[in-house]
Amino acid sequence: MAINPATSRAGAGPGLTARAGAGRQRDPAEPTAGVGPYRLGLRRLRRNRVALAFGALFLLIVVLCLCAPLYAAHVAHTGPNANHVTDTVTVGGVRKNVVSTTGQPIGPTWQGRFLLGADQNGRDIAVRLLYGGRNSLEVGFVATLITMLLAVIVGTLAGYFRGAVDGVLARILDLIWAYPVVLLGIALGTSLALGGISLGPLHLSGNSLMVPAVIIGVVYIPYVAKPIRGQVLGMREQEFIDAARVSGLGPLRIMVGEILPNLASTIIVFLPLMIANAILLEAALSYLGAGVQPPNPSWGTMIADGIRLIPSAMHLTFVPGAMLVLAVLGINVFGDGVRDALDPRAKVRIEEQVG
Amino acid sequence: MMCTRTRSASLSLLALALAATIAACGGNSNSNSGTTGGSSGSASGGTVTVLMGTAPDFLDPQLGYTTQSAEPDWIVYTPLLTYRHANGTAGGELIPGLATAQPTISKDGKTYTLTLRKGLTFSNGKPVKASDFKYTIQRAIKINWGGKSFYTTYIVGASAYDKGSAQDISGITTDDASGKITIKLTQPYGAFGNVLAFPSSGLVPTGTAMKNLSNDPPPGVGPYMYTSASANRGFTLKRNPRFAAFKIPGIPTGSVDTIDVKIVSNTQSEAQQVLSNQADVFDPGDTLPPSLLPQIQSQASDRFARVPIPSTFYFFLNTTKAPFNNAKARQAVNYAIDRQAMVRLASGFLKPSCYFIPEGVAGHPTAPCPYGDTPDLAKAKQLVQQSGQAGAKLTVWGEERSPRREYVDYYTDLLNKIGFKATEKIIADAVYFPTIGNAKTDPQTGFADWIQDFPNPSDFYLLMDGRAIQPTNNQNFSKVNDPHIQQQLDKLNPVPATKLDSVAGEWTTLDEYTAQKAYVAAYGAESMPKFFSNRLDFGAAIFHPTYLNDWTSFKLK
Repeated sequence: MAINPATSRAGAGPGLTARAGAGRQRDPAEPTAGVGPYRLGLRRLRRNRVALAFGALFLLIVVLCLCAPLYAAHVAHTGPNANHVTDTVTVGGVRKNVVSTTGQPIGPTWQGRFLLGADQNGRDIAVRLLYGGRNSLEVGFVATLITMLLAVIVGTLAGYFRGAVDGVLARILDLIWAYPVVLLGIALGTSLALGGISLGPLHLSGNSLMVPAVIIGVVYIPYVAKPIRGQVLGMREQEFIDAARVSGLGPLRIMVGEILPNLASTIIVFLPLMIANAILLEAALSYLGAGVQPPNPSWGTMIADGIRLIPSAMHLTFVPGAMLVLAVLGINVFGDGVRDALDPRAKVRIEEQVG
Repeated sequence: MMCTRTRSASLSLLALALAATIAACGGNSNSNSGTTGGSSGSASGGTVTVLMGTAPDFLDPQLGYTTQSAEPDWIVYTPLLTYRHANGTAGGELIPGLATAQPTISKDGKTYTLTLRKGLTFSNGKPVKASDFKYTIQRAIKINWGGKSFYTTYIVGASAYDKGSAQDISGITTDDASGKITIKLTQPYGAFGNVLAFPSSGLVPTGTAMKNLSNDPPPGVGPYMYTSASANRGFTLKRNPRFAAFKIPGIPTGSVDTIDVKIVSNTQSEAQQVLSNQADVFDPGDTLPPSLLPQIQSQASDRFARVPIPSTFYFFLNTTKAPFNNAKARQAVNYAIDRQAMVRLASGFLKPSCYFIPEGVAGHPTAPCPYGDTPDLAKAKQLVQQSGQAGAKLTVWGEERSPRREYVDYYTDLLNKIGFKATEKIIADAVYFPTIGNAKTDPQTGFADWIQDFPNPSDFYLLMDGRAIQPTNNQNFSKVNDPHIQQQLDKLNPVPATKLDSVAGEWTTLDEYTAQKAYVAAYGAESMPKFFSNRLDFGAAIFHPTYLNDWTSFKLK
């Protein structure tokens, strides 16, 4: 790989970010000599206590959700889809119906079984909350992976080759962009929930978690691919690319070996933000019945299931809603911290735009 | 809603009404200050406000096909035959309406003869003629009533009229002078008396425009008449001053003068207004919000009831493919199902039953369930093992709307508990039945229900008739094609509706046989809410099995 002279010269941040900011004044408090851009970013991130705290909160939620099977087996003694409609539970020495004869589910018991109460089918809310979190996060992570992978490929190809390739790819991105994300997600979600997805040897059944993941992953591609395309368009005119070309490297090696490493900071900044967006969109689609399919829980489906009982059993919507807010807030604030650490001027730019 | 009330002409009454309005708008009013002021305390007269969360599909009698349209149309457009205004099973009895007596049916069951009562007039004063009946049926066909196949299938010449190859329905002949009406059928059809009792068969004057008249409903012969109608906003019924003179036995003339129907945006607000006595009637076609149930039961227990209607809710078990082509696998489901759990999922709006013919319809069995009245999971698991179907993969189909989604969630979990590997497929309500009724889908099992078109067991056994299996819009979801059932249907279906009692025992035996065969896992009949304000006499009001709240029985306290 040829060294990007701009990056090494600036030393204040990776890739194009660093080049563009080569002329700015250095913070005298930052001992940057001999420190790589990512290490410098990490140092800045460490000083951002708020971002770290929210990152830790998100991590905690992820760990809790990963522990769902342990909680279900050893504390709640029930699965996420196990119905207990006519069962009873002892709370404070009193036997109570999990679901009353008029269909009202029990509220939080603050004990192992039905810690946060039950839903209309007598399913343990706490267990479903954790399993739902696993599903929501899994969809969020896989969708982000799909978005980033395809967006980087499409953005790089369009930006590097320009011309006809760019014309076709950019128009396809425009086409996806033209549809409101939620509407496109609902349209795809409801149609694919019935027959699933068949792509050659790959078949996803309609109720597979991967269906909403693929849908969300696809609808967000333009939001990442377009900035990457713009960045590559600028980057391909840089001297280090010319140098690589002159040295006989083909387009594929230039894209993989020269351009991709310089996109890393952009990708890193986008990652947490896209995860947050994907989790939110998954919740919205599941709420509208076009995301995670029943009886599998997700925070969105749990909110939808609880809506009709809000006045009498608010916990059914409040608990998954609160988890959703905390998870998205956690990853979003952490993502902002990562962006500020890798590209401090972005914060200034945003503040200027807002101002 | 009640903040915009009709004002009285009298200034003093205006002031009183204003005071009542302010009181009602200011909070819950438990007094008898009525929606129209002056009528409170009287045994008849006054205005009743009915709230509907779902608007009627049409107010035109030859187009209306939902419960919301049938409720008013039943009392505005009286057909030749109609139903007794009574609660429960008695309400399923066919009585002469505009006809002088029950029809005379030929020996081959293919010719019905009736005579129109003399001296009848429509609400606009126009005399009723026998030929108006023929015109009414032609109108229902021409403007495409949703159930017109009941006419086109069974009345000679109706199909040709529908296709446009005939100008007239040759199978109906009328004589205006004598009032004689003769209807020839293509085949014997015992439930044809029920067809004659549809509100769509309620007479309208010859010459009524062949178009949707929902915003200006045509005149009819009934205790009430439409006086105003506005799409999706509401409509008003007033007592028909001419009707009382006809003295038709069994059809009440009504008690309240005006029935004001308002369409509200959501059922939460609808229930809240009735609970706080700002409106009088919660339409039973709407689902009472479960979140308000505890409040309604504690504050309004004397004016709220759950009334079962003739309907069957069940899980179909496709008898033509694995695993339910195995009798033991089907029996296992019937052993396992906990009907009390289903009642709770329905917030109490379900009356448990394991039989296909529901309570309130002739032939409903009263014997204990063949696979037990309480669930037996151990036996069910054992049967699944014996059937060799343990671990069989199943897709359970269901609708989105509540509580049907909850039923399917429960059922899927139950199937997994007894040894199958079940997953769910929930699809939009609007496409659910066409999807599962399509041969390409050929579903293994899932949710199904049937709410009677009319109180006749043959209406339910259409779903068990092997001849009804078709590639699209199939209703026999279990694909039952049992020679014994076919033989019995051939015998029982032609029995006229007016003689149902004579064969009720045979229907019972047939339904017990069906339950024994476990072709479906039936779990009960839907209940509907009878929920009034404290201004109405709750006990006197009839909840009809077919047309729900009988508005002619509304009486202010």
